[in-house]
Amino acid sequence: MAFAITRSKARREWRLYLFVVPAILLVGTFAYFPAASAIYHSFFDWSGGDTKQWLGWDNFRRAFGDDVLWGSFGTVSLLMIFNVFKMIPSIIMAVLIHRIVSDRWQYFYRVMLVIPMIVPGLVTLFIWKFFFDPNLGVLNQLLDVTHIKSLLVWVDQLFGWEVFHAGVPIGWLSQPELVLPALFIWGFPWIGTVGVLIYLAGLQSIGTEIYEAADLDGVGPIRKFLYIELPLILTQVRLSLVLLIIGTVQGYGLQLLLLGASGGPGGRGMVPGLWMYNRAFIAGEFGYACAVGMILFCFILGLTLLNNKFVRIDK
Amino acid sequence: MSAPISSPRHRRRDGGKHLVVWLFLLVELFPLYMMLQVSFKDNAGFIQNPWLPSPPVTVTETIADRDGTQREMTRVARWREVFSGVESDPSRRVVAAERSWDPTVYQFGNWAFGFKLILPFVANTVFVAVLGTACSIFFALLGAYFFARYKMPFSGVLWSAFLLLMLLPGVANIVPLFVLLKDMSLLNTLWALILVGVAGAQVFNIYVLRNFIEDLPKDLFEAAEMDGAGHFQQILNIVVPMSGPILGTLGILAFLQKWNDFLLPLIVLRDKELFTLGVGLIYLDGEYVKQWGQIMAAYFIASIPLIIIFLFMMRLFVRGLSSGAIKG
Repeated sequence: MAFAITRSKARREWRLYLFVVPAILLVGTFAYFPAASAIYHSFFDWSGGDTKQWLGWDNFRRAFGDDVLWGSFGTVSLLMIFNVFKMIPSIIMAVLIHRIVSDRWQYFYRVMLVIPMIVPGLVTLFIWKFFFDPNLGVLNQLLDVTHIKSLLVWVDQLFGWEVFHAGVPIGWLSQPELVLPALFIWGFPWIGTVGVLIYLAGLQSIGTEIYEAADLDGVGPIRKFLYIELPLILTQVRLSLVLLIIGTVQGYGLQLLLLGASGGPGGRGMVPGLWMYNRAFIAGEFGYACAVGMILFCFILGLTLLNNKFVRIDK
Repeated sequence: MSAPISSPRHRRRDGGKHLVVWLFLLVELFPLYMMLQVSFKDNAGFIQNPWLPSPPVTVTETIADRDGTQREMTRVARWREVFSGVESDPSRRVVAAERSWDPTVYQFGNWAFGFKLILPFVANTVFVAVLGTACSIFFALLGAYFFARYKMPFSGVLWSAFLLLMLLPGVANIVPLFVLLKDMSLLNTLWALILVGVAGAQVFNIYVLRNFIEDLPKDLFEAAEMDGAGHFQQILNIVVPMSGPILGTLGILAFLQKWNDFLLPLIVLRDKELFTLGVGLIYLDGEYVKQWGQIMAAYFIASIPLIIIFLFMMRLFVRGLSSGAIKG
């Protein structure tokens, strides 16, 4: 803890306040002021300039009747489910690496895991966009080479989806029905470097004797995972779950770059953050965008409180 | 770290685990592999052979046209042709075919072009990221020292104000932030990115550094004060030397974050000369006729600074990624 300080000493040490002034100024100007401004302007018809007109609750009333916004919350919920599912490979990977006996191999695998991190996220994103390209894209070629495409076409004809056609390249990002599946496939095999490293750190606390005891009792690998490993990384898993959910709800960079500001074909990839971006910078409705931002903000705040209540993180 | 199981009976059973981990890793590293190998091809070479790097061999075919004239066509050999004979398209009348060793198959021009294309963007990003990281660590250090050293009057209130910000999602801020930057006439400047970046990193950095400084032995500060050291000197001579690794970790996290940022640059920057990597890559993506080889080379060049950091600071990097995520 910090030293207690008497009032007279504090008066003599007034210069210490200068130390925190830059931080306060920066945070005040670039974090608190915009937040306050967002709340204030969500009640106005405002296009970013000096003129604005008081609307009262009209922006919010409009938002609650806005089908795009409601649809986008549906999309983001679906993405959230996807992302929770995508946590599984990282956990499996961490447990596998942890169970490997050789220390040297463990270290080697860790290094290999960090390698994808040195590629900027944006580059990874564009490489995936390139994979999704209908004509040159790797994904379509892979499906062709492995004949999964003909299987897909067959299934398509069976159910009458009208999505996959023989001889026509699959437009992963241009066919409305395929936008969400493409977002699901995105990032396969879904191994998050940070996630695996955190889980490995948690697993390190398991002593050899626990495994030996489990071996004596004849516990199989799956029950070892359920009763020994999972409980120990549960804190980390819950923490990444919380971060993941909040990140998914407020994120829209991926959708913006893969699908564009209007959420791709048919707006299927529209998420709330992207709708806010779209309203502000495409339509110029800054006031309405602020209102959408406020709704999103309340939604996230609610999720955070819910998380804190039900998913306790003991540090 | 200690290996959980060490009897030889189990050692034999590790084969399956290695296999699965390798499978995962191969798929995980596949995009990287594609980036590297496509960067040495032109579009035609990529369409002909998308999966493997080209062999350094070309085939020169002499084709007889209908009117009797002969012309020569040179193409990159297929891998099969390197090991067995040349396979020619029967629909064209190939009179003769010849294989020859030719390293110019690899389009090094892609890399030269990529460099020219992306180096200005990299320079801008380095400027923003280095200055931004240095400033954010410096100001955070000062702020954290203020909170950690004494319980000054009002420091409790200020601390709560900082922590409150950590709870608030920043998503609603971007629209008013844009207008604020416009009013400060910072739009279309790199300073906007630096200032906003520094401000955004403050809370987290101060939070981590405060906890760290509070754990330092109090006697050191008292001794320094006895010797008449000012607060700034105490930071320089006590805090900085003792918190090297954590400063490095925070610095790397800040640097990575600035390197990857694209939303703010996309909104703020208009002139092509000022583009950072984020906007620069998006701009490249918007070109109509795409030479994938050049673009992939540019992507790889965009990663080079991170690779350099990675090589020199591997341990900090790994630790930074795990600890940062735990505390975040």
